[in-house]
Amino acid sequence: MRRDLFNGTRFFLVVLLIFAVNACAKKTIPTKQEFPTESTIGTTEPTSTGAGGIGGINDGQWRELGLNSAAERQEFMKRAQTFENDDVYFAYDAYVLSDEARSVLNKKVEFLKRYPKAKVTIEGHSDQRGTNEYNLALGERRATSAYHYLLNSGVQAAQLSMISYGEERPLATGQDEASWAKNRRDHFVLNL
Amino acid sequence: MFMHRSRFPIFLLLGLGLLCLVWTVPARAAERVYIDITQPFFQRLPVAIPDFKYLTSNQTQLSREMATTLTKDLDFSGLFRPLDPAGFLEDPQKTGLTVTDLNFPVWRRTGADFLARGGYEVADNHIKLQMRFFDVVTSRMIVGKMYEGNVRDWPTMVHRFADEILLALTGEAGAFGTRIAFVQASGNSKEIYVVDFDGSHPVQITSDNSINLSPSWSPDGRKIAYMSYREKFPKIFTANLQDGTSRLLCGYPGLNATPAWRPGRDELAVTLSKDGNPDIYLVSSSGAVIQKLVNGPGNDTSPSWSPDGRKLAYVSDESGSPQVYVLDVGSGQKRRLTFSGSYNTSPSWSPKGDWIAYCGRGDGRLDLYLTRPDGGGTRQLTRGEGNNEDPTWSPDGRMIAFSSTREGASAIWVMLASGGGARRITRLPGAQQLPDWSPRSQVSE
Repeated sequence: MRRDLFNGTRFFLVVLLIFAVNACAKKTIPTKQEFPTESTIGTTEPTSTGAGGIGGINDGQWRELGLNSAAERQEFMKRAQTFENDDVYFAYDAYVLSDEARSVLNKKVEFLKRYPKAKVTIEGHSDQRGTNEYNLALGERRATSAYHYLLNSGVQAAQLSMISYGEERPLATGQDEASWAKNRRDHFVLNL
Repeated sequence: MFMHRSRFPIFLLLGLGLLCLVWTVPARAAERVYIDITQPFFQRLPVAIPDFKYLTSNQTQLSREMATTLTKDLDFSGLFRPLDPAGFLEDPQKTGLTVTDLNFPVWRRTGADFLARGGYEVADNHIKLQMRFFDVVTSRMIVGKMYEGNVRDWPTMVHRFADEILLALTGEAGAFGTRIAFVQASGNSKEIYVVDFDGSHPVQITSDNSINLSPSWSPDGRKIAYMSYREKFPKIFTANLQDGTSRLLCGYPGLNATPAWRPGRDELAVTLSKDGNPDIYLVSSSGAVIQKLVNGPGNDTSPSWSPDGRKLAYVSDESGSPQVYVLDVGSGQKRRLTFSGSYNTSPSWSPKGDWIAYCGRGDGRLDLYLTRPDGGGTRQLTRGEGNNEDPTWSPDGRMIAFSSTREGASAIWVMLASGGGARRITRLPGAQQLPDWSPRSQVSE
């Protein structure tokens, strides 16, 4: 008479091992980096609410920007405010630039040429409809459209970087066309 | 022929499995060994599952809990119709456990075609659990198993037995011991969680305090790859479930997203935009690029492997709108799969390779569809009930998990592959989305 015995002991030893190990999530980076990592500049946390990085600019940062007089600095602050507040908007499921989008971007070109030391991150966003994964790609393309336009208008590549947030960081949370339209955007954040 | 008070060896189990062929259960699909429950008009088999019998006097409350867990599993399968225990005529603590000490005619009178019977003893934290499944009509045992281990692990044992019941009846083991990884959104962050297939025992896997998306189980069930903004830019990480560590997999410039582990190999398909626009690449388990799989002027994303790892379903908008395509990796040939609707995304290839589930937009809502990998046989699985996204298959190909907003905030639901039997499995605060169903080989943590 054979027991059809499911040997639990071995199986559940694994469970014991798990509890024996102090399980805290460590971030370990493999020693051989096979790829370059994007360099982050300045901002401590990604933000898409328009607050930007122009809150407090210290002396070191002003010097980097090449702005020394109080008048210059005030001028910069004013223009930077506008620069960050004006988003570029997109049609549903699209990443092509409308005429309206281009005129907003032209003003950004002006700013970036006036302040060639200023650096900006272009954030690409989508509305919450559609699937998260496809929206990441859409956000990426929206950021890229603006990126290429700025580049082709003579802005230095070194001033520009991009990030897609897909539908993950919406500005407006309503479930209506007005809210969705506000979220289909590129948002520009100065890195200081 | 039947041994008294014994645990049945495998060969007798197989013999009983063959006996299934000669059942004469009337008007039931049980006349065939291989019961196809994806057929919409399949009639469920009535089964009686009385409380388990406790053979020692401690832990008596498990008597009902175990029977309930087994009942839920069998009910979930779509194969069975569990009978109301209120109609049972015998005291489950007095009823027998084996063929020789059970009174089958009594059970027949309750309307049961099948009977599940369990008995257990607990000493300290150790449990011995025996379970048997009987064909009431022919008074024969179909499958019987004995499990031993820590009493805390009784759900795993019951789930395994439910898997065995399905194996015996249909030729395909169940997936009741498997789990589902998903994204738990609350406040400003999204973390990766894992839950049992029926929604019990949620476990938090990541604590990155950032936005984490797209969990993907490794084929051995030991790791989960996912996308995270925890290092500011969207990168892919792998969480090791055994030791709780996580490490960076892909951090190329631009987007690193949608990891999908290749069946049978230590490689992943990922979306990278490092060459200009989002394309699908094959990377090694250390994140090095092996080859570019899908190249194109549009967005290519959301890869899903065929079970043999030779083909890839994915999303491309190269035609002007996002549609599902299939790539033959060997030849590099691409073929468009979806032609109706202007938005078809999130493909998921079934474990037997016979279906591709995906998410399509119609009437302003997202619904789930099935299509054959050659493009024919399209079926709509959800209709008129909120937004339904991101399908993922159970490893036995019977169930599909997905996210749905039909009851408000997004939650994870599971339904049968036929589209029926949808039930909600997550009830955490906030929202749950982007489920991925584990393989059968599991590591608990």
